[in-house]
Amino acid sequence: MNKNVKVQVTHLTKKFGELLVLNDVSFDVYDGEFLCIVGPTGCGKTTFLNSLTHLYEPTSGEILFKGEKIDLRKHDIAYIFQEYSAMEWLTVKENVRFGLELKKQYKGINEKVKDALELVGLTKFADYYPRQLSASMLQRVVIARAFATQPELLLMDEPYGQLDINLRFRLEDEVVRLCKQTKTTVIFITHNIEEAVYLGDRILVLTNKPTSIKEIVTDELPHPRDIAAPEFVEMRNRITDLIKWW
Amino acid sequence: MSKKNQRARALAYGGGTFLLLLFLWEILVRMTDSQIPFPTPFAVIERFVDMLFHNVGYYYTIVGHVLWSLSRVLAGFCMAAVLGIVLGLTMGWFPYVRAIFMPIFNLLRPIAPLAWIPLAILWFGIGEKYKYFLIFIAAFVPFTLNSYAGATHVDKQLVGAAKMLGANNAQVFFEIVVPAAVPSIFSGAQVALSNSWMTMLAAEMVCATEGIGWIIIAGQAVNDMTQMIAGMLAIGIVGFLLANGMRLLERRCLVWNNQGN
Amino acid sequence: MTKQKKLFAFRMKIISICALFGFFLFWYLVTDVWKLAPETLLPSPLKALETGITKWSVKKPDGSTLPQHIFASLRVSLLGFCFGAVIGVPLGIMMAWWEKADMCLKPVFDFVRTIPPIAWIPIMIILLGIGVVAKASIVFLSAFIPCVVNSYTGIKSTKKVHIWVGQTFGASKTRLLFKVAIPSALPYIFTGLKVSLNSSWGSLVAAEMLGSDSGLGYMIQLGRLLCRADLIIVGMVVIGIMGTILSAILDFMEMKLVKGAV
Repeated sequence: MNKNVKVQVTHLTKKFGELLVLNDVSFDVYDGEFLCIVGPTGCGKTTFLNSLTHLYEPTSGEILFKGEKIDLRKHDIAYIFQEYSAMEWLTVKENVRFGLELKKQYKGINEKVKDALELVGLTKFADYYPRQLSASMLQRVVIARAFATQPELLLMDEPYGQLDINLRFRLEDEVVRLCKQTKTTVIFITHNIEEAVYLGDRILVLTNKPTSIKEIVTDELPHPRDIAAPEFVEMRNRITDLIKWW
Repeated sequence: MSKKNQRARALAYGGGTFLLLLFLWEILVRMTDSQIPFPTPFAVIERFVDMLFHNVGYYYTIVGHVLWSLSRVLAGFCMAAVLGIVLGLTMGWFPYVRAIFMPIFNLLRPIAPLAWIPLAILWFGIGEKYKYFLIFIAAFVPFTLNSYAGATHVDKQLVGAAKMLGANNAQVFFEIVVPAAVPSIFSGAQVALSNSWMTMLAAEMVCATEGIGWIIIAGQAVNDMTQMIAGMLAIGIVGFLLANGMRLLERRCLVWNNQGN
Repeated sequence: MTKQKKLFAFRMKIISICALFGFFLFWYLVTDVWKLAPETLLPSPLKALETGITKWSVKKPDGSTLPQHIFASLRVSLLGFCFGAVIGVPLGIMMAWWEKADMCLKPVFDFVRTIPPIAWIPIMIILLGIGVVAKASIVFLSAFIPCVVNSYTGIKSTKKVHIWVGQTFGASKTRLLFKVAIPSALPYIFTGLKVSLNSSWGSLVAAEMLGSDSGLGYMIQLGRLLCRADLIIVGMVVIGIMGTILSAILDFMEMKLVKGAV
């Protein structure tokens, strides 16, 4: 595997007032890999990603993106949030366009929007407003918006938390396919261990608050993975054991 | 720590702007030489304090005037509360009541409360009754509308559950619809109070012999700007206290409802 | 089931129409048939209607025809309202978006806001006379306050996640404001405009009653002095109708401009 370091996190620490949430976290993300982050509920996973992107200013520590200090203005990063983040006042098409416009990628914008909508199968719904769509479609709009900008780094924070199990598997397969196809580097946060084992090239296991890294597990099962295969079950159990805090 | 800092900063900025504006006011008054004696902020405050201890007009200090005004607001507001809540809730829950009263209510609603002033004076004279009536009109509309909205937006599941347990329509109304509408009624009361405070001012300005609105109009009659601005200061203070008192009451009464927080 | 529902709705409609009819009938009976109220206090509905029609072209007793009054009121209220919106909405947005503006202006604004616009009428009359400017200033004040409050609330209620989306796509603070915060606040801003319109129309009436020589408020005030209740009622009805029309125009604009709120 290509082991160029894409993102380098060193001594990342975040405090909210006196409350220490992230405690001295250091790790690397390699180019083109799918990194899953799992941890017990309420361990500050979202804070983790938000500090990583400087949406929250980290208290200390450094995040380097391709050797430079990470800067949302300069680097092509997309973030898919846990909540539905499609803009209610824009149509599906305009939502996908929104990211491209903010990124000032005006060249061939119409084709890019069209391609992205096709990728997630929403071409027919291009002129609908978010309120007219179902939950899974909404999340697909957001995915299309993220992929349309061809980000170098894609951050996903429990994007499927609120979807039912069938849709989840479908969208998970879709995302893995898209990422491999576009060679995007992904950091994917979830509390669902099975999901992490199913998706990740590596799995980063977090501890309870104050959050730090417990272990990084490499997951090299071939895609598409079979959740009933003994290797898969073994991996899942191993990570479950790591997360247990009782 | 940072929160305290934030507060201090906000206070500094806000207070600074305030002082700057007062200073500008003072400068402007001193610089311009207008025929109308426009007071400096200092003169206004001095007059305000003076009004607290000495009569404005013949009979009352400013506190007395405020009490007069408040008594009018209270009377109109309470009448409106009783009638508006009853009408709104019953219109929201009983279709027949809605069918009968809704069209008439909608017919009269677009008329601004202040537009009732002349007719109210013709009907009730220039005494207290005319003011009560006007304030009643001003507070009645928001009370009715919000009680109505509260009663129509009751959780259907709650109603269904109560009916399953064998409640009849009247029981559902009193046990479920009325309590569920309370938050909405409170927000109506908020609007009603500020409406009636404003209408009271207008009513007193048109004709009255005492009250906070009268203070301003009396000032106008003798070109006494200081009295007018001091009166407005009092209006602002009392209005602020009323609005916040209402909010406090709401929070006390609706501990179970964390809506809008 | 649906047929039953339709029947029920139909019955309700009939009752509503009957109630409206009953209201006017009762009014008619009280005034014209039973003669319970003298005409100077409550004219019959027919008399009011007649006055309403003749007032359309007759200048007596207040010096202007009804269209002239409507025009005078409309001009002042639209003038004040437009100024209030043009200044109030950007101010509210600015206060909500830039922390420093918030800290500087919010306390001053909160202080001014506690004084009802009507209380400014006497001062304005002394300073500016009883012309268009004084009345427009009152209307301005009453339109300005809700505009600021609602735009402020609208911007402040922009969803955090929408801001984050903009930020991760590398938007600057100004671009975030125009691409995210303002569009998401648009429904609030429109609510503010509607409230503004209502309250400015109301305080215009008061301003015209307290010092003016034209306009609908002046007309009804004069009606009171002359004990012409029919004139007052005509004025009130016209005030109501004009208010409704103005709000309908704003509703229409909102429908066209605010997207996605199905």
